[in-house]
Amino acid sequence: MHIQFSSPCAAIDIGSNTVHIVVARCAPTTLDILADEVELVRIGESVTATGAISQEKLAVTLATLRNYKALAEKHSASPIFVVATEAIRQASNSRDFIETIHRETGLAVQLIEGTVEATLTFLGATYEQAQEKHAPSQLGVMDIGGGSTELVTARQEQITWRTSVPIGSGWLHDRYLSSDPPTHDEVSMASVFLTTYFTGMPIRRVPPSLIVTGGSANSLFALAKHAFHLDEAPMRLTREEILRCEGLLQALPATEIAERYKQPVARARLLPAGALIIRAVMNRLRLDEITISAHGIREGVLLAYARYGEQWLQRIEQPATSNENHSSGTQQKKEDEQETFLLHGQQLLQDRTAKLLEWREAVLASEDIEAVHKMRVASRRLRATLDAYEAICDPRSFKKIYKKTKEIADLLGSARDTDVMIQNLQAQTVKAPAEEQVGTQWLIERLQAYRLQHQQVLEAFFKTFDGHAFKRQIEACLSTEGVRHGKS
Amino acid sequence: MAKAKPVMGIDAQATTGENARIIARARLEEVELWGRYAHDPQRSDELHDLRIAAKRLRYTLEIFADALPQEITTVIAEVTQIQEELGALHDSDVMMALLRLCIQQEHENASGEDEQQQIQESYAQAIAAQEEVGKHIITNLELVASLLAARTAPSQAQRASLQHLLQDTIQQRGAHYNAFRIHWDRLQTQNFQHSIQSILDAK
Repeated sequence: MHIQFSSPCAAIDIGSNTVHIVVARCAPTTLDILADEVELVRIGESVTATGAISQEKLAVTLATLRNYKALAEKHSASPIFVVATEAIRQASNSRDFIETIHRETGLAVQLIEGTVEATLTFLGATYEQAQEKHAPSQLGVMDIGGGSTELVTARQEQITWRTSVPIGSGWLHDRYLSSDPPTHDEVSMASVFLTTYFTGMPIRRVPPSLIVTGGSANSLFALAKHAFHLDEAPMRLTREEILRCEGLLQALPATEIAERYKQPVARARLLPAGALIIRAVMNRLRLDEITISAHGIREGVLLAYARYGEQWLQRIEQPATSNENHSSGTQQKKEDEQETFLLHGQQLLQDRTAKLLEWREAVLASEDIEAVHKMRVASRRLRATLDAYEAICDPRSFKKIYKKTKEIADLLGSARDTDVMIQNLQAQTVKAPAEEQVGTQWLIERLQAYRLQHQQVLEAFFKTFDGHAFKRQIEACLSTEGVRHGKS
Repeated sequence: MAKAKPVMGIDAQATTGENARIIARARLEEVELWGRYAHDPQRSDELHDLRIAAKRLRYTLEIFADALPQEITTVIAEVTQIQEELGALHDSDVMMALLRLCIQQEHENASGEDEQQQIQESYAQAIAAQEEVGKHIITNLELVASLLAARTAPSQAQRASLQHLLQDTIQQRGAHYNAFRIHWDRLQTQNFQHSIQSILDAK
């Protein structure tokens, strides 16, 4: 089929880690890429440290944009689009930054919202796959930037849900992983944070496959390709390959990673953070493999322009389909905001109870200590939901079910806290001086003895625990008939 | 920290968005209340209460995220981090208390006592320790009683070794507090609580 391409256009994105340009001839469904360059500027570093974009970062950005403008002009590209994302959204001096760029380079910067960023990324990351005969009908796209991560789910190429979370590789590096290479404790703290954050993030439809884009994902693939001799295509990474990459990244300093695996040093410093984010999201979505895309937001801008012309940004800002569930500023959000508190509460309590009960068998099986952790977290979320709705619950039913939920949380808490103590002490034993070893070993053994004893208590409780009765009691707590008005 | 107080002014028939804002403001007030003690590393009770308040705020924001402005995701990330930092601090406090109890424990020849009597004695010691150290540090009496059982008490060499571990844990606690303090101070500089209020005020 003959494709009608436009004359060249350019798209630049100013992100938290990089400033990146793509020059291409465009068609509504595909691109003919003429140039693709990236500069690691790390604007997000100064925003994380001081809340503002520093003069130094501004100067580097201006120099980079001048070069990019020259590159675009060399290809006779027009128009040149410039979009800015999370670090600029967060910066206290973003308006000055944008005005200075316009004054100094003539380039107009569009500061886009996280959900717009998510949609553009989706367009860019999936356009190649959409051309394939057997493109999956359901998929997710994740773009790990320096200051934020965008997540989109889609069905039959239509976006069903999208969100932007303010956690990127630069952000995680600056907050948690500043040593080079990151220490065991830093990695452990960062992992706990990511697990906690992503476990709490509601995802409406968990996709069966995930395309990951952004600098971290592509650099991680490049590292894996060099280190483990992977094929150039398809660009896929398994959980095991990512874990092996993490092993390298946590053992070698960035300069050595850069030298051995042909990475810029600045990027190598951020890779441990990128790998941890990817694995945390894989855990959340229960995926064992991801596909990597070299394309993202810039290609999305060019495709959107080819499809919608001058109105491209307004069109992207609108809900793409009537059934789209955005997490902000869109139809579903409006529905959630407008739904009565009572109806929302009934649904929430039902969901939270189901989530709690689904871990019961795994806790009884006692094969994976994470099951106890997950059931405990579910019990805490159920309690928090009950706390939020207490004012409109039937007081007697509330008291009864709250007590039961607390009992479950406490039982699981005793098990989990002991598991964590044992894990921490075991990790400490590896590097502990000789004089600490004998005492630490004594304590680990005592804790293990208690944990075994407590497992019997847990099992006795859950074997006789009536999940159906528990569900009924939760429902009675916030039934439409028994509801209190709440204003008192 | 006691159970969360029921939030007043909730209307079952009003929208989730309206009520979510009322609840989130109440939880934010709890964070502000306990946040007054953030600068004193010795106030472990109050720092624990701040952690619980942060956790309640986080859960509330997560539960109602879809009914609140998108900017709330940034707040959730910050509050989650604060909660984790204070969690690490609390874990150190608990470990320090347990280690001190174990170090004090003398090995006794308890062969004359029956098992039931030994269990009762270790429980009594655990309760006494809880009264001394505080219920938020010693939450699990069964665990402490198990550690304090006379027949399994650590030998002199093990106690000396536990003393080293205690010193390490004290150092770790200092590092955890510093990490929290730097983060907390940065949020205060950025007027974080006020930013949350503004997000909640936005329609």
